[in-house]
Amino acid sequence: MAKNDLTTRNLMLDSLKQYAKNRISFNLIREHDAKNEIPLDILKEMYDHNVLGVHLLLIPEEYGGLGGQTTEIYRVCEQLARIDLGIATGVFATFLGSDPINVGGTPEQKAKWFQKIAHENKLVAYGATEADAGSDLVSLRTRAEHVIKDGKVVGYKITGSKMWISNGGVADIYTVLALAPGGPSWFIVEKGTPGFTQDVHEDKHGIRLSNTAGLAFDDVYVPAENLIGLKEGQGFLQAQAVFGYTRLMVAAFGLGGGEEAVETALQYAQQRIQAGGPLAEKQGFMLKLITPHYVRFEAARAYIDWTAKQLEVNNHGLATEGAIAKLYATESGNKAAEDAIQAMGGFGYTKEFSVEKIKRDVKITCIYEGTSEVLEMTIFRGRWQEHLKSRGQYYLNQAAEFDAIHAQNPNVGADSVALGFRALARVLDECRANKLTRHQYVTFMLGDLISEMEVAAVFTRQCANKVVTEGSRFDINSLCTMARVNARQSAFKTASDGLRLILGTCPTINTAELSQGVNLVGIEDKMRGLIDDMDVVSAKLREIFKK
Amino acid sequence: MNIIVCIKQVPDSTQVKVDPKTGTLVRAGVPSILNPYDHFALERALDIKAKTGAKVTVLSMGPAQATAVLRLALALGADEGVLLSDRAFAGSDTWATSYALATAVKKIGQYDLILCGQMAIDGDTAQTGPGIAFHLGIPQITFCESIDANGNQIVVKKLIEGGHQILEADLPVLVTMTMPHDYVAKYPSFMAAHKAQDKVTHTWTAADIGADPHKLGLEGSPTRVDRIFPPPARQKGEMFSGSAVELADKFVEILKKESVIK
Repeated sequence: MAKNDLTTRNLMLDSLKQYAKNRISFNLIREHDAKNEIPLDILKEMYDHNVLGVHLLLIPEEYGGLGGQTTEIYRVCEQLARIDLGIATGVFATFLGSDPINVGGTPEQKAKWFQKIAHENKLVAYGATEADAGSDLVSLRTRAEHVIKDGKVVGYKITGSKMWISNGGVADIYTVLALAPGGPSWFIVEKGTPGFTQDVHEDKHGIRLSNTAGLAFDDVYVPAENLIGLKEGQGFLQAQAVFGYTRLMVAAFGLGGGEEAVETALQYAQQRIQAGGPLAEKQGFMLKLITPHYVRFEAARAYIDWTAKQLEVNNHGLATEGAIAKLYATESGNKAAEDAIQAMGGFGYTKEFSVEKIKRDVKITCIYEGTSEVLEMTIFRGRWQEHLKSRGQYYLNQAAEFDAIHAQNPNVGADSVALGFRALARVLDECRANKLTRHQYVTFMLGDLISEMEVAAVFTRQCANKVVTEGSRFDINSLCTMARVNARQSAFKTASDGLRLILGTCPTINTAELSQGVNLVGIEDKMRGLIDDMDVVSAKLREIFKK
Repeated sequence: MNIIVCIKQVPDSTQVKVDPKTGTLVRAGVPSILNPYDHFALERALDIKAKTGAKVTVLSMGPAQATAVLRLALALGADEGVLLSDRAFAGSDTWATSYALATAVKKIGQYDLILCGQMAIDGDTAQTGPGIAFHLGIPQITFCESIDANGNQIVVKKLIEGGHQILEADLPVLVTMTMPHDYVAKYPSFMAAHKAQDKVTHTWTAADIGADPHKLGLEGSPTRVDRIFPPPARQKGEMFSGSAVELADKFVEILKKESVIK
């Protein structure tokens, strides 16, 4: 059967939207949020093959699933996040929990477990995190001891505990990371296995429609055939193999949550009359609280989609790109939700409106699947290697590419991207020459600047190629205006934050020389017309989201 | 039994606005949907399919993007799709459109029942269905709320002023369907959407269906849209108070002033 085409993807998303419209009212969400309760019947219904069968996306076709491509899975994640991030997390936990089987399972294991998940609509949970092993899985304490019969390993006894496991209290199947004699390994543990218990549901700040619980294993026996891949010591490799992919999904959560919040605020602002006119007609309101977020959303969408398309070719890997997508999209979504409350004033601060809940929900996207700080470190490490290996040419080469793009397309901000990349190359090189990366803070901030520039570059390149990313509601001209706004700001941030970092850690450096080195004046000069461009974007937003 | 359902892709009317300055529809970023009346008609055709094993073909006219509504119909259970797509069709009014659709129906060949939505929510004309019946020279029943098929006959419940009519008709016949106000459109599961990719959709041009080019597009359309405008905002009413006699006098006075009575 053919892979899903764009029409099919859009049809799936329409089905999901309609289902949510008919079955998941804001009142239902509000009640469950207040009671801190998972709407299990809704989740089960979403798995029902005749209703949606959303979980079939993650199951390969040969086992009765849809063999969903990265693009449709991220788009479904974005849409789920627009509905409710708690429900989205519940669905995602099944995706995530199945990943170790997908990556490391033998054909027999895949056949057995995927068919169970597909046809019996089982909820799955991913059990990796422990009290002392969050983003740093190396400190893993849960153990799996051999059970030997007739000199042969016939099974394992698992002992230990896990915490903050999504679907922890409600799943039927758990994939659990434990330290076997041969090293960290994934095991499949079914609910009801003697000695396996689930703790009470956590009382969380947000995503309260998602069940989160600790797991306890007290001499839990699992047969040897439940060791994923039937080989010990593959656990970390199997976990890391999907980071690029899973982080991309959480990036889509950040994007969807942010979009939902700002769209709610923008629709409100078209009706809210203050000082003689709707708030949405007021320049300061739009440029401070609404417009910049849409610019970042479209940049994030372009980057997520671009990474998804790469993953479809490469299958696994792209850890740095996945980290960039997640850092950029979730931090953007989180800030956007914060401003959505501000934009709605007192209304936004009450539980009558969804933005207050979205703000609480979307914060988790900056934490789970790697905190923003872990991602900054990952991004820094990935690109620092490239910078060193290429003797500083890595970003200079990309700057040259954007000079060429600018010569062809002077309206997509490629000149600013080129300046930003040159500034980034210079900042990285100063850090190398002066050994500034001994400061952990510097590495975090460099990760952030790298992410800022790489996202701007992809967005600008897509616009230069006249690509309107699927799911975008803007025309190519509006996207080009947004790309110009975005590229200028990313370049400026890179140059000015870069200066701040270097001068802040290395006071002996000549300020004027460094400022010239990153070409701060050149980057500032590109700011001409910035506010006009933002006004154009604001006008487009009023047209598209007209109430 | 062969059923043809005529469907149309329309902008989601809840999100379309008229630009008061230019008099054009603001369609930027507005999603397209299957016309709800057609959606209802399609579901009724699929009910008949479930009961009788009828073959359901969906027929639409529009740009390539209209494939989306055909795909939706196929995912819901229709067997085959036909899209009429050609620049020659552009600018067709309901007369030219119904000619094109009727010509396509003839090319499809076998049909017993043609189902249409009562009207499309972007035009509200309710003319295309009757136009198709005219061009094919077959009887039609409009404004039906329900339909049942037995062998060579159908029974419909038709909405009329102040009540309903139950009508029987022999085949072939064209029926236009109206939907209850609380109708919730059905959407396919992910798997059904996936499988619909493998169903057959034909794309036909004006030449493919052997249509007379003079009867299509602007040339074949006797009506012209002069302009589109939003209805003027309702003026604020005036409130009066007083005794019944005073109010009646006041009322008569205003009616005279407005030249409603002498």
